[in-house]
Amino acid sequence: MGLNLVALGTSRLPSLIRVAALQGMVLGIMPLVIEHELRLMVLVIAAATVAMKGLVIPALLRRAMRTANIDRDLYPLIGFLPSLLLGAAGMIGAVVLARRLPLLPEHRESLLVAGALASVLTGLLLLIGRSKAISQVCGYLILENGIYLFGLLLIHSTPLLVEGGILLDLTVAVFVTGIIVDRIQRAFDSLDTRKLTVLRE
Amino acid sequence: MTPGLLLATSACGILLSLTGAFRAPRWWLATSLVSTLTALAAAAWVLATGGAWEWRSAFLIGGEGVHLRLDGVSALFLALLAVVGGAGAAYSREYWADPAHPASARLGRWWWSTLLLCMGLLLLCSNGLHFLIAWELFALCAYFLITLDGQRREVRAAGWLYLAASHAGTLALFAFFSLLAARTGSWDLGPMREQANLAPLFWLALFGFGVKGGVFPLHIWLPSAHANAPSHVSAILSGVAIKMGIYGIVRFSGWLPVPPAAGWLVTTLGVVSAVLGVAFALGQHDLKRLLAYHSVENIGIILMGVGFAMVATAHGQAAWGALALAGGLLHVWNHGLFKSLLFLGAGSVLHATGTREMSRLGGLWRVMPWTASLFALGAAAISGLPPLNGFVSEWLVYLGMFDALNQPGAAVVVAIPAIVLLAMTGALALACFVKVCGVVFLGASRSPAAGHAHECGPWMRGPMLVLAAGCVAIGLAPFVFWPALHTAVAAWRGTWTDVPAPESLTTLGLFHVALAALAAVAAAWLWRRAHRGGWARAGTWDCGYAAPTARMQYTAGSFASIITEWFAWILRPERHAHRPEEAFPRRAAFEEHTPETVLERVIQPCARLVMWLSGGARRLQHGRTHAYILYLILGLAAVAVLTLAWGR
Repeated sequence: MGLNLVALGTSRLPSLIRVAALQGMVLGIMPLVIEHELRLMVLVIAAATVAMKGLVIPALLRRAMRTANIDRDLYPLIGFLPSLLLGAAGMIGAVVLARRLPLLPEHRESLLVAGALASVLTGLLLLIGRSKAISQVCGYLILENGIYLFGLLLIHSTPLLVEGGILLDLTVAVFVTGIIVDRIQRAFDSLDTRKLTVLRE
Repeated sequence: MTPGLLLATSACGILLSLTGAFRAPRWWLATSLVSTLTALAAAAWVLATGGAWEWRSAFLIGGEGVHLRLDGVSALFLALLAVVGGAGAAYSREYWADPAHPASARLGRWWWSTLLLCMGLLLLCSNGLHFLIAWELFALCAYFLITLDGQRREVRAAGWLYLAASHAGTLALFAFFSLLAARTGSWDLGPMREQANLAPLFWLALFGFGVKGGVFPLHIWLPSAHANAPSHVSAILSGVAIKMGIYGIVRFSGWLPVPPAAGWLVTTLGVVSAVLGVAFALGQHDLKRLLAYHSVENIGIILMGVGFAMVATAHGQAAWGALALAGGLLHVWNHGLFKSLLFLGAGSVLHATGTREMSRLGGLWRVMPWTASLFALGAAAISGLPPLNGFVSEWLVYLGMFDALNQPGAAVVVAIPAIVLLAMTGALALACFVKVCGVVFLGASRSPAAGHAHECGPWMRGPMLVLAAGCVAIGLAPFVFWPALHTAVAAWRGTWTDVPAPESLTTLGLFHVALAALAAVAAAWLWRRAHRGGWARAGTWDCGYAAPTARMQYTAGSFASIITEWFAWILRPERHAHRPEEAFPRRAAFEEHTPETVLERVIQPCARLVMWLSGGARRLQHGRTHAYILYLILGLAAVAVLTLAWGR
């Protein structure tokens, strides 16, 4: 969860990508830590998650960043300090909310749900508060990490196919965004989504 | 020939006329006239025999079987539609001729035919869904006819206002018919007075039809639309189209149960419309706008009759209710005839001089004797002067109210002020038309345009003569038309079948004939005397003033100013005066303008408030994706809070 605050506090694009990758890898290892007995399915999911979130997606993003030739500052819409404070408040709120949710007794004590909610909130905050398309992709990644964390609660009942599908979706989405980012850059000389307001009608 | 066959011929005629609207104006006119004549014959057949014509077909439109019905009430309105529709079609041949209006004349013919067709269908439809379709089509046709001269800005503004007001009313009608269908389980219309749970729906119908009918607070669209439309369109709008609102109110107050208060409210609305309509008319300087306000007044008189009939049904009093309703329905005819005549006369003046502004006209009697005489006849009729038709219908309404006075009960409380105010309306209308005839036709011409006026041709004179003949016929022989009214009253309320013709109707007819004969004799005597003695023309005595000009005559505003002062609380006239001062005064000016109070003081401020609020709401949509995501989160959070707080 500390990684969330780092993501909010950082002002450089590569470090943001690194944070998202690191969070993805931690998430990938998570099932191995939680589960007491190692089964093949859990292993496969963990390996795939680490590979996708930790290696493939960050590589795609870095590639997009390089080809689009963007400068590395983030231009926040919400300042770093306010977003840190908001993130912290969101985290506290998530913990409080997690205690009040009607959960199974074995999940009640763990921080899994609180962490998942906090990640989702952080992702949304990044989506709202950062203006560049790539930083929005990172926000989206962190949001997805939160959802994945929720999914861990259900890892026994979720089929492998669904997990695989989610991962594939995510990869394709990032891939497509990378291409779009490149095109936007070529067409408009900027990646600032604030300037994409003409199409509102 | 049965009415069904006649109506089929009429429909064929109007469809054939559509084919000739663009290329063959003579063919269009001939087929239109045949169509209107056959429709008139069908209506007359139903009104004379008293039998309703009904036709159901398996052919579906919108999933509903076609169901047409021509009974006394709809036949009454169909007859009026046929007369005014035919007269207007003939009038437009010269008034809105191809050489003067190359593009809009053909469009005008096309929309005229579709308007007649849609109004005819509206009167025949006996299915809620088809009624709505015909209603909407009719409103649109009227819009295109109003904006025929769309080059001018005020015409477009008037058309837009009409369209907006009309759709506000249509919205209420959509609610009315949907709720009606939901409660009865069928779109089919017909008498269903025993279902008491339908009564509250009448308020929706009253609003929806009241907007179209131009009942006082809802009349905002009417003056500008009637003033800016071409005159034959104004004639059919005022003579027939606004009567469709009356038709709706009469139709559904007859078929459905009405709330107990409805009769009182309709009567009150009628009284208010009558008095304030004529008050606003007195304040106008625009000839056609003035006539438009008189439509509001006459709608008020009709509603007084209809409202009293509803009060009578609530009290179980058939006798005076039937008289009041017959008076109201006869006034539908009468107003259709003389108001169309007046609008056609105003169109003739407009055609000859190019202006509707009364302060630019004057002295037209000498150059336009036909127009002036026919207009004066219409003016006498609308003022309710014997021996013309306006007096007959108002007499019937008076009779109904006087009979109500003899009955114990609450009706007396309303009847007395209603009688007084109806009499006052008649007096004010007379004052108003004295003003119009005096300013427009008498005196000296106030502008070069009025000086170079010319009499209208036979195509414009003919329809006016037909309408004037209708006014005189109803005035001189009212008892001939009683069976038609009796049929309509019996169709309105099935139990009122044996209402005897009031004896005074025959007396009134004889009196009118005697009065007309006396007037003719007096006119002949005066004519002979004038001819024997020879004409001697002399200047008007000018109080010894050295250089009198035409501008020193009474204007429309100054003539009516005593009466408009009484109504200044509602008319709110705007005055701009530069008084002459000092010994050698500079240029002085005085200007007076009567705005449409309801529109400018009530509707427009409300509209501005709505625009301001929606302008604020529009700022939320700015195109920034980030903020849109924020809206999503806020919405989600609100939903979460709602479910967590109240969901348990």
